[in-house]
Amino acid sequence: MNTRHKWVASRALAPAVALLTLTACTSNTPEEATGVSVDIAADSCALSASSAPAGPVVFTVENTGDAVAEFYVYASDGTKIVAEVENVGPGLSRDLAVTLDAGTYVTSCDAGMNGDDIRADFVATAAGATPAP
Amino acid sequence: MLANYLIGLREGLEASLVIGILIAYIVRTGRRDLLGAVWTGVGVAAAVSLAVGAALTLGPRGLSFTAQETIGGALSIVAVGLVTWMIFWMGKTARFLKRHLEDGLEKAIALGKGAIIALALVAVGREGLETTLFLWAGIQAAGSTSAPITGAVLGLATAVALGYLIYRGAIRINLRVFFQWTGLFLIVVAAGVLAYGIHDLQEAGVLPGSETLAFDVTATIPPGSFAGTLLKGIFNFSPASTVLEVIAWVSYLVPTVWLFSRMAFARAPRPVAAPELASTSAV
Repeated sequence: MNTRHKWVASRALAPAVALLTLTACTSNTPEEATGVSVDIAADSCALSASSAPAGPVVFTVENTGDAVAEFYVYASDGTKIVAEVENVGPGLSRDLAVTLDAGTYVTSCDAGMNGDDIRADFVATAAGATPAP
Repeated sequence: MLANYLIGLREGLEASLVIGILIAYIVRTGRRDLLGAVWTGVGVAAAVSLAVGAALTLGPRGLSFTAQETIGGALSIVAVGLVTWMIFWMGKTARFLKRHLEDGLEKAIALGKGAIIALALVAVGREGLETTLFLWAGIQAAGSTSAPITGAVLGLATAVALGYLIYRGAIRINLRVFFQWTGLFLIVVAAGVLAYGIHDLQEAGVLPGSETLAFDVTATIPPGSFAGTLLKGIFNFSPASTVLEVIAWVSYLVPTVWLFSRMAFARAPRPVAAPELASTSAV
């Protein structure tokens, strides 16, 4: 591979590398991250919690059904995607790491990816919020 | 296992077909010296994807959703550019074949190794990261059940086998027909990649309109079905497509098919043709 080839190859990879090295990473297991397990089956979607402190949250999405599943976190309007993990095949478990600002979100489990998703509200509570006097 | 098999098949199919056609092109134009460049691109893309997938799965840091979608979307649009270049390169070759100008053919296929490496790299790397994240999840699950990883690997192997079959078929048919029809096929593939890239950027919130659907035939063609897998894997057909995706698909497909057909299916021009011939062949 001469210099010119390297140059072309590096140009093709540049966007990915730049993104990876900038702000792309979120912590998989930071000290303060809240773990929430999500169990998706054919007709059910069970989250271990319906709220978490604002900040890093890791959803561990396990598919115990027999169809391919996806898990979404939407903004409170239920349409804007905050985070998503796809290709959670049967028997697989995939982590979705996301940093949530305080507020209300909508989680969605889509088993079979047919649009018939199961939704629930999820609240990120303000960290260190002091109760009003 | 079947569901994971279909994911593996879908993720690997498009890359296999593009690489199969690329190799057939190189072999048929007598440029076997460029095969090394193809495998370099494929190898680097696979190795980088596997390494990054492993680092993200096993290491302390994951990749944010927005970053993954933005990388996927950006790489898709780079891929469309490179595949379009390959398409017109094929169209030009078809035109020279018609005119029986062996010298012209030599010039038309005078292409750099760097370009071939980049094409192979992006064709494989585009879906590489998501595929390896999926594979690593399968490997992690292998402690309790090996069915997912077995299915995924068999799916990928099937995709590679189909790419090989395309190659076998492509080296048998008439050379001019090969350039014409694989060129048209690749235009439809590239249009799908563009629509997919737009979809990724919409999901990432970089482009608006992720919920404004042009059509939704999810009930007729479920994404998890065999037909849905093939349509998605080859043409990136999404059963629920947004308006922006459809606009991008049509805006790419129609002019590209027109320009390509004019080039590849044109009646053989007499040696001195329109000025645009000179400009297109001077690359």
